[in-house]
Amino acid sequence: MIELEHLGKVYRENGGELSTVALTDVTFSIQKGEFVAIMGPSGSGKSTLLHILDFLDRPTSGAYRFMGRDTSTLTDIELAHLRNKEMGFVFQAFNLLSRASVHENVELPLMYAPIPQFRRQELVERAVRAVGLEEKIQSPAANLSGGQKQRVAIARALVNDPSIIFADEPTGNLDSKSGGQIMEILQGLNDAGRTIILVTHETYTARYAGRLIALRDGGVERDEPITDRNKGNGLFK
Amino acid sequence: MQFNDAIRSSLRGLRQNKIRTTLTMLGIIIGVSSVILIMSIGRSAERYIIDQVQSFGSNLISVNPGAPTKGAPAIAQGIVIKTLVQRDVDSLEREPSIVSVAARVSGQSRFSYGNTSKSVVWHAMPPNVFSMFNIELSRGQYYTEADSQAYNKVIILGQELANDLFGNADPIGRSVRVKDFNFRVVGIMKPKGAGIFSFDESAILPLTVGQKQLLGIDYYQEIHAEIDPVYDASFVKSRITSILRQNHRITDPSKDDFMVASMEEALSIIQNVTSALTVFLSAIAAISLVVGGIGIMNIMLVSVVERTREIGLRKALGATEADILRQFLVESVILTSIGGAIGITAGAFFTIATYFGVTYIAKFAWPLQFPLSAVIIAVTVSVLTGLVFGVYPARQAARKNPIDALRYE
Repeated sequence: MIELEHLGKVYRENGGELSTVALTDVTFSIQKGEFVAIMGPSGSGKSTLLHILDFLDRPTSGAYRFMGRDTSTLTDIELAHLRNKEMGFVFQAFNLLSRASVHENVELPLMYAPIPQFRRQELVERAVRAVGLEEKIQSPAANLSGGQKQRVAIARALVNDPSIIFADEPTGNLDSKSGGQIMEILQGLNDAGRTIILVTHETYTARYAGRLIALRDGGVERDEPITDRNKGNGLFK
Repeated sequence: MQFNDAIRSSLRGLRQNKIRTTLTMLGIIIGVSSVILIMSIGRSAERYIIDQVQSFGSNLISVNPGAPTKGAPAIAQGIVIKTLVQRDVDSLEREPSIVSVAARVSGQSRFSYGNTSKSVVWHAMPPNVFSMFNIELSRGQYYTEADSQAYNKVIILGQELANDLFGNADPIGRSVRVKDFNFRVVGIMKPKGAGIFSFDESAILPLTVGQKQLLGIDYYQEIHAEIDPVYDASFVKSRITSILRQNHRITDPSKDDFMVASMEEALSIIQNVTSALTVFLSAIAAISLVVGGIGIMNIMLVSVVERTREIGLRKALGATEADILRQFLVESVILTSIGGAIGITAGAFFTIATYFGVTYIAKFAWPLQFPLSAVIIAVTVSVLTGLVFGVYPARQAARKNPIDALRYE
């Protein structure tokens, strides 16, 4: 599904005089249905990698193939359509339209997809039901608790029936109970066959993933399966 | 993004900031309602003048004594010119392009009845003016040529003058004292309302009586000629000019001692003036539309900054630059369109209020005009204002980098 080959990203400022290497020689692939946790300390390149993976940014070197297509040949509009059709997003800060209702928030990605109005209602209701918030569907997002907000965000990520979900620190703003619930939902989605890419610095949430990619100084430090969640490996100690 | 989604999102955004939305629209509301009001008043004024002239008779030519000047006519400067005489009237009556001719003298005298007295402007004219000027009576009858020949002291009063002098009493058959004469009231004119050609507060009496007995003069202050509709007004004007030059033995046209003017000409001059005035005033009102537009741009720029994260989110969820551009443009156009609609309603309200004020308080026969063109202009200008002043903020929004936008605090 995702193939990265010697991917690099260098930020240049002041007309190229100053340059910062954010990613260097990143090579890995992610298969359909995997649950991958990307971890690493601050400045390790997690966010940069995530933004390249979800097309909000482009690499400065190397190759990125998404579902077999070389993304460097795609236009911004094609990338926007792909993002809308194939990707779902869950953010640490939820990023809901606070004064809009749950329904309106979940409907947002459908506005940018060629889906007729009569189908939308059904899709929104299904996604909201999947996160157990059907009773709150007309409530303004601002009136919800943190855990509920993140469930709305997951419903929004699901509504387009994407093949991959990017979760960027999804439990970072939640208490451990709500965080656990969110991770259970993501786990369920992965069990149903969706690819999940989780960016986190919490070992607790990374335990839900089946594979760990650890970054350091812009490169891949470790890339290994998580076989025993209770015991964990080096990173979980 | 579908168009109706853009509209829905925009309406939600505007609803969420009701006070700001209202204040932003205020500029457009004031601009549009002023343009509508000014155009309506302009059109009403034009219609009013045309109605007045037409009720008076638009196929008339008037001849006034005095040389044509660029300034005020001689009579208005208090200069007495005695060049228009009966011979001129007789010559004009023989001219085939003229249907009828009426000389006029006017004066101002104190009219008394019982203990009531009033200074009144009167006009002495032959009986043919009744049809020439469309003068209709509400009561009594017209005086005749025979009354004029016999120097009968008969008089027709304007409605308001009759009310002032006689109150509730029936004036017909009663006598009014004018100078040293007793005039018998034979008729009351139908009221025409206040206006430039209204006789409501004046009186009409036989030409001979006014000229010879009240003023004691042998010249006229004005001669009116009704054109045969077969002929062109400018042709008849030139005929009158040549007849009078012949009568007055004028060979050098620059030494004319009379002025010939047709109502048609006066009408077109008045129309030009009112149109120019309307355009000028509308242009001034349109300045407030520009100010309103700048207000829209300002608020939209603030809105773009405030909604940076939303823009980032929408882009992350698959919105293209065109989608974001469209959404913000639709928002500013909706803002100005709603402002325009309220402005049109307010403009219509003020137009109707003006109509009632002028009709019932100032008592002018003011026609209510609400030109469709004003509405079309208002709608077009509102939408264009939204588009023009919305483009820059919308482009700012569309060009935002989604990564930075999502991180914006």
